[in-house]
Amino acid sequence: MFKKRCLFVWLTSLLAVLLVLAGCSGSTSKEPNPSKNANPKNQSLAKKEGNSLTIAIKDNLVSMDPQDTNDTLSGSIQSTMLEGLVGFDKDMKMIPVLAESYKASKDAKEITFNLRKGIKFHDGAPFNAKAVKVNIDRVANPDNKLKRYSMFELVEKTEAIDDYTFKVTLKKPFGAMLNNFAHPAARIMSPKAIKKYGKDVATHPVGTGPFKFSEWDQSDHLTVVKNPDYWQAGLPKVDDIKFKPVPENGARVAMLQTGEADFIYPIPTEQAAQINGKNGIVVENKPSIVARYMSMNTTKKPFNDVRVRQAINYAINKEAFLKVVYRGYGSEMDSIIPEGLQFYSKQTPYPYDLEKAKKLLKEAGYENGFETKVWGANNSDAMKAMEFIQQQLSQVGIKVNVVPMESGTLSDKIWSVQNAKDAEVELYYGGWSSSTGDADWGIRPLLAGDSAPPTSYNVSYYENKKVDELIDAGLQTADQEKRKEAYAEMQEIIWKDAPWAYLMVEDTMAGKKNYLEGVYLLPDGALSASEAEIKR
Amino acid sequence: MKNGTVDLHIKDGRQEAEKVRTPFLEFWRKFKKQRIAMIAAFFIGFLFIVALLGPFIAPYSAVEPDYENILSSPSMQHLAGTDAFGRDIFSRIIEGTRISLFVGLSSVFFSAVLGTILGLVSGYYGGWLDNMIMRICDVLFAFPGILLAIGIIAILGPGLGNVVIAVAIFGIPTFARIVRSSTLSIKETLYVESARSVGASAKRIIFKHIFPSTLSSIIVYFTMRIGTAILTAASLSFLGLGAQPPSPEWGAMLSAGRDFLNTAPHVTFFPGLSIFITVLAFNLLGDGLRDALDPKMKD
Repeated sequence: MFKKRCLFVWLTSLLAVLLVLAGCSGSTSKEPNPSKNANPKNQSLAKKEGNSLTIAIKDNLVSMDPQDTNDTLSGSIQSTMLEGLVGFDKDMKMIPVLAESYKASKDAKEITFNLRKGIKFHDGAPFNAKAVKVNIDRVANPDNKLKRYSMFELVEKTEAIDDYTFKVTLKKPFGAMLNNFAHPAARIMSPKAIKKYGKDVATHPVGTGPFKFSEWDQSDHLTVVKNPDYWQAGLPKVDDIKFKPVPENGARVAMLQTGEADFIYPIPTEQAAQINGKNGIVVENKPSIVARYMSMNTTKKPFNDVRVRQAINYAINKEAFLKVVYRGYGSEMDSIIPEGLQFYSKQTPYPYDLEKAKKLLKEAGYENGFETKVWGANNSDAMKAMEFIQQQLSQVGIKVNVVPMESGTLSDKIWSVQNAKDAEVELYYGGWSSSTGDADWGIRPLLAGDSAPPTSYNVSYYENKKVDELIDAGLQTADQEKRKEAYAEMQEIIWKDAPWAYLMVEDTMAGKKNYLEGVYLLPDGALSASEAEIKR
Repeated sequence: MKNGTVDLHIKDGRQEAEKVRTPFLEFWRKFKKQRIAMIAAFFIGFLFIVALLGPFIAPYSAVEPDYENILSSPSMQHLAGTDAFGRDIFSRIIEGTRISLFVGLSSVFFSAVLGTILGLVSGYYGGWLDNMIMRICDVLFAFPGILLAIGIIAILGPGLGNVVIAVAIFGIPTFARIVRSSTLSIKETLYVESARSVGASAKRIIFKHIFPSTLSSIIVYFTMRIGTAILTAASLSFLGLGAQPPSPEWGAMLSAGRDFLNTAPHVTFFPGLSIFITVLAFNLLGDGLRDALDPKMKD
């Protein structure tokens, strides 16, 4: 009995202490607001010893073979070692890299690259047109079964015209081909290494980049070291970089706080405002090209009625969505593609207008609403987003059941459905990032009539003849003005047809120590660390 | 306990006239001396009232969002603060009480009924039937409880109803075992033997003569089990397998708040506290019941 009384006293006091603690910590937590941070730039430089960097990333790395990689993260690490003929700068504008200049023919069927001279691969092999040909032939050969084959399946012929001129001919006109050459998949590997390692180049990447591959412990980290013979003067500026996958958000943030990592990506939006400006930490958020939307199955009742789809767009408060789900880190979607993509043309967003939504639903014969379900991933952001949509649509009488699914189930139930008639999907919350930076890859896979699953990702089963014509028109010419016109018209039509509930464009979120310069995220979420520099 | 014995003397003096003590009175006499168990019992009674009145006493709606007030800290307006959608956490916890108690009670009830029947049958008849039931129970015991529940949910699909089934199934073997062992000893007692000798049917012996004697151990385990069941149901909801949004289930609330552990700890603290206190109360009550019901425990 005495023991029990002791226990009782203990528990009561423990409770009291916990309550007080909760009260204290609660009162210090404030609404984080990205625009109102104390200026993190004013901090003095944090201390850093040595000239090595550690970058903590979210997921495990898959492969170091650019032609057999379809995750952005692996591609990012490759970019420190491998370079392409063309590439993207900070804002995803195309720039020449290993090519000095390039020219596309008027009919969008031929591209000629003039290559830079005097560059050597890390293994000593010379960089020339033959090396480029080996690479492009490898990825364009269906027998090699590489993941990025689809981006180069249009290649008919590659020619090394002389040592430093490379020409590629396509089977049919494709105006966005140059963007595919700027994509990470078109980075050039040493032909000597391809021959030596065969399939194993995936663990032995050899390129022309500012860093050389050092080691890859698949359970822990991948390290790259300085390439002293790099062709661009002044680079690289650090001795080595260690990339360390740390899946747990909290652990990654802790690594940045203790200085174990110099750069972390991504940083969870919930914690961004809290750690920004302390311990020499700077949070960098910039508009990305990751669009967030909810697609509606346009072949199914009631979503086959454009008025219902528009009503749903009117019924969702996008500003509140941004605030609740992404803590304000992002911007409202104002076209079917984000502003960062080529040929983006601004549309008028659907304002938050419940009266109008109700009126449209009434016209469509759904005055009393209806019941439906929304599918989506089971991570906490997606679940929060779906719950938010559920709350918003309940205001106009639409009862939404939230069904989070893990990725295997999603792929079974959505992406592997063979026939549009068998598709059970009604609403789907998802997102898209077009890593070629071109409008075509931001629209065609998602909204072209022949892109329905399992071929591609048109989950709204949207089909509009005029749009399909415009998509073709946009591809059949390399004339930028004509392409621009086609994409502008297409965006306007689709915006009004509303196959999606347009939500928002995410920000890229990264945290770094303030002595670090030259490491940044591209709008597609890829990381660039080639110009990393430690300020003293 | 000194005070206890003094009390007892007085009482005994006053109750001289009383000749027979019913089992219930005997139990009550022992139970009310256990202060902690009494407090736990009162708290659980209070929880039931809260569960019944739920929506009438909650200051706010449990599902109505308020986007102007997201993640605000505890204050006079919102006693336990608000969550990521601006919903009042205090009101959600009140409405969640009903869900947690319902899941806990119903799942344990099912496992108690099924487990008791299996235990009685297996203990009374013995032989191959006993062997078979006990081996099946062993198989179920070999799984860690929560893993078994996850497996069952994987087959049935997520949802609160299926959580009840899952938690019920993995409680069955323990009940079966407890009841079987009491049955084994009780069926050898003289009064069972005499019942058999006057020709009572097996059904009558099992339910009329053996079952009442196993009741005390069932009640004790039943109470303790509710705590575990609530905890397991909350864990399943935490993993996204149980209650679905916008249901204010405590485990689901914990899960939704884990992104804000650093920035807004109150979102996880209060649901966590509710689970903690409720489970603790059931366990303490179970402890007290055991002390009061066990004939071997003398005061």
